Amino acid sequence: MTMKKQIKNVLMSYLVSGPSLLLIALIVVFPIIYTFFISLTNMSVYHWFDFTIIGLENYWRALFVFDSGFLSALLATVLWTAVNMVIQLVIAFILASLLNVKKLRLRKLYKTLLMFPWAMPGYVSILLWKTGVFNSEFGLLNQLMEALGQQTMRWLSTNVSAFICCTVVNLWLALPFMIMIMDGALQSIDASYYESALLAGASWLARTRYITIPSIKPIIAPAVIITVFTTFKQFDVVYLLTQQMGARTGSDFHTILTYAYENAFVTNNYGYSSAISIIIFLLMLAFSARFKLAGEETL
Amino acid sequence: MKKRTRERLGLAVLNIFFIILCFVTLIPILYALSVSFSGTNSLLSSDFSFIPKSFTLANYAEVFTGEDIMTWFGNSILLAAATVFISLAVSVPAAYCFSRRSFPGRRLVLRWLVLLNSFPAILSMFAVYRLLQPVGLVNHRLGLIIVYTGTMAVFSLWNMKGYFDTIPLDIEEAARMDGATDLQVVTRIVMPLAKPSVIVTALMVLIYVWNEYIYATTFMTGEANYTLAAGLYALQATEMSGSWPVFAAASIVVSLPVLIIFFLCQKHMTSGLTAGGVKG
Repeated sequence: MTMKKQIKNVLMSYLVSGPSLLLIALIVVFPIIYTFFISLTNMSVYHWFDFTIIGLENYWRALFVFDSGFLSALLATVLWTAVNMVIQLVIAFILASLLNVKKLRLRKLYKTLLMFPWAMPGYVSILLWKTGVFNSEFGLLNQLMEALGQQTMRWLSTNVSAFICCTVVNLWLALPFMIMIMDGALQSIDASYYESALLAGASWLARTRYITIPSIKPIIAPAVIITVFTTFKQFDVVYLLTQQMGARTGSDFHTILTYAYENAFVTNNYGYSSAISIIIFLLMLAFSARFKLAGEETL
Repeated sequence: MKKRTRERLGLAVLNIFFIILCFVTLIPILYALSVSFSGTNSLLSSDFSFIPKSFTLANYAEVFTGEDIMTWFGNSILLAAATVFISLAVSVPAAYCFSRRSFPGRRLVLRWLVLLNSFPAILSMFAVYRLLQPVGLVNHRLGLIIVYTGTMAVFSLWNMKGYFDTIPLDIEEAARMDGATDLQVVTRIVMPLAKPSVIVTALMVLIYVWNEYIYATTFMTGEANYTLAAGLYALQATEMSGSWPVFAAASIVVSLPVLIIFFLCQKHMTSGLTAGGVKG
């Protein structure tokens, strides 16, 4: 290939991918840089135009002043991610195993029905849970309590019960995907392994531990990492159930994203909120680096 | 013989377990379905059943004749169509380019795109707001379209690049041997092969716009400008108890297209979600 043609090809490449990259630069990259700039200022609703640069004060407040609430939100988010992931993996594994029991004829029907929570628009489901199940007047839970002669409750009003409710809804939303991934992974295991294990007299526990889990681990790993990310970044469940603007239920349970949102759009502490955003972004970057995200080998 | 009965019993228990599980899983949806078909007055009675006592289509009639909801529907369609069109128009060529050509900066850009993909858009929402406001794009449909296409651009690029990577180069080279020009190779050979990926990407963008409520409620004021998602959100936030049956009916109507799309291309869903994201 001649030099001239090569240069032409390179220029062509830039030209063709230009619009997409320009869009990303304008809507994704530049706002992040601008967020970083805001995080160094005292911009708030009182200082919309006449803000001043105050250096790293916002970061200091987030990381070293415990009362500010960021550290407790971060702690709650870590706890939230851990609890959700553990329960999700255990339940998905059990259900996927049960779905793979031989001679279960209606397997396909069950699978289809269990996919519904994933297929529904997420925000619609969450709002249906909020009004249909947890609502204190006509929610199903309180109707059940009444039928059982128990005291009705405001389910989303305290931290612990809000955390539990959010976890239930999040599991409901996330389990179908995980079940499908596990199901696919289980089906990919060579049946002959089990046959020889059975011949050797291995118990169910031994088979699970030495054959099933090691075999599915590499297959489900990418999906698990994605799910850890989406759980850690969860906003919709917590926001829509308990933190809706003008309709807060009284719970203080925040994930870091709802915390950042509240500081930006409810208390209008733009500088501080931007500092939180940048800290979260750095955490995510560290996390991605740790798990070597996304097809580096295909670059 | 005995072993056989035990096996049968086990299967029966398993089937009952799954039937109960499916029912419990679907309760929120079934309840909404039931409420959407029942009159307002039967709601607060304590003897509840999943089959509505007084069957009525009034709630659905209100959804389809209510002026607001039809306006929101129109807005959603407009935004979704524009976003899908622009997204594909910019990211198909870019994805092809990143998959096939080598040029300085390619690896660097790809690496950064991966990292950007993990950035939750909501964190820079205030910055975006402040940037769009002076140019008059806040409270303007064009502003939302730009934000949506930008937000989905990274995903679209990665997702389709991942798919282009799986199309063997030999096919293209064979076509070139036969004298096809670059443009012909792309339009006649590559694009037909990449169709599934283009469709999945378009559907993901469509569903994203269809379901997005937080930008739509923050950037738009005035209910006439709302999308379906934003409107539904507003519907449940205000005048709650009165509109719960209408809200339930609207939820069902809004979910139906998404459900249909989902179950039509369920097979591609997992690969569509993971191919561009993480590889093990």
